[in-house]
Amino acid sequence: MNEAMDRWESNLRKTARALPYPPTPDVARAVRTRLAAEPPHPTGARRPQWVWVALAALLLALLLSVPQVRAGIVALLRIGGVRIFLIAPTATPTLPPPTGTPFPTATPHPTSTPLPSLLDIGGETTFEDAHTRLGFPISLPTYPADLGQPDHVYLQDFGGPMVLLVWLDPQQPDRVRLALHLLACKECVTKIEPAAIQTTSVNGQTAVWAEGPYVMQLRSGDLDVRRLIEGRVLIWTDGPITYRLETDLPLEEAVRMAESLKPIR
Amino acid sequence: MDLISLARRGDGAAWEVLMREHQQAVFRLAYLLLGDADEAEDVAQETFIRAYRALERFDGSRPLRPWLLRIAGNLARNQRRSIGRYFGALQRLVTLDPEALARARGESPPGPGESGPTAEEAHSLWQAVRRLSQPDQEIIYLRYFLDLSEAEAATALEIAPGTVKSRTHRALQRLRTVVEREFPTLRESLEE
Repeated sequence: MNEAMDRWESNLRKTARALPYPPTPDVARAVRTRLAAEPPHPTGARRPQWVWVALAALLLALLLSVPQVRAGIVALLRIGGVRIFLIAPTATPTLPPPTGTPFPTATPHPTSTPLPSLLDIGGETTFEDAHTRLGFPISLPTYPADLGQPDHVYLQDFGGPMVLLVWLDPQQPDRVRLALHLLACKECVTKIEPAAIQTTSVNGQTAVWAEGPYVMQLRSGDLDVRRLIEGRVLIWTDGPITYRLETDLPLEEAVRMAESLKPIR
Repeated sequence: MDLISLARRGDGAAWEVLMREHQQAVFRLAYLLLGDADEAEDVAQETFIRAYRALERFDGSRPLRPWLLRIAGNLARNQRRSIGRYFGALQRLVTLDPEALARARGESPPGPGESGPTAEEAHSLWQAVRRLSQPDQEIIYLRYFLDLSEAEAATALEIAPGTVKSRTHRALQRLRTVVEREFPTLRESLEE
């Protein structure tokens, strides 16, 4: 191929790249809905068993040490009942919009979240009732000392019990101070494309620190609830329970709070 | 366990992640072949439905995107064959000028002083490519519009990599002939 043809081909490539396309529709969401309406997958395989992947920490460390590698990789990480998908960035990333029943945005970062969004979640109950119905002890943070008991308690079933404890900002009672999820379900929470992620430890066990914005998905059968998380989340496990703390605190403070959990009663 | 393995076991969330990674390329190939966004969306959806059902037969050691584009290309070809749709889309393409197309999509044309090829030139190129045979169009779309490597294009078209090279060469020669004969403005910009 001569020089003129090479130049012509190069210009052709540049021109082809300049073609404006219509916005890419959210095909994934539409297909997911269609597939959900169908009978079970032909392979009929059981849902994957909950597995603690010990290599997650190593993989995370590798990803973190080479950010550009992390940016280009498609991976699945798992910690307790939480799965985290890392996706290679695209030129026009499309985050799935929230669907189904709106879920409260409980993360006060950079400003705390208005309380009215909490009214959208069902299953509010009392601390005592949740404790009675759960079958496992509820642990509460003892740090900071003035935290006290949660202002709101929700109990829902996402393939296993999920408790959401919400503390309000005493200075702004219409705002959320922090929220703590206790998950006894297996693979019921999915995070897609956290903006930042790193490993840490809580009581000597591997934990994950993720920062938004990212999509959190709660799934149970046909119920599929999503919301956009814009703040910081610490995820760790203790036995069969996965804890998920949403807060505007820095990592060190969040870990200290996590390590202060003590069973009530 | 990787995402494809999870999807094979019926994990819809894993499949959704894979779809999000590839939906733009699949949609764009369908759009290039059909010239209609609604029909391209239909093809893209059907592509992922069929791929999901056929995951058991997919070799997980190979890249997913060329396989998806192969399915999308086949579906778009079938769609194009249906009477009326192809000619309707073609009619829309030749009767709408690029600016009208851009306006219809809510896009603004490039302003003065912006360097590089314009959207208008790109649309002219697209129209020129559409004068070619279907196999010539597909190889040019994959290699130049979607930037697939020769190996990826070979997988998407189910041909040998060497055949991709020779077919690309011949398609470019025919495209150049069309451009020189029917698209004088585009010819000037491509020869600069």
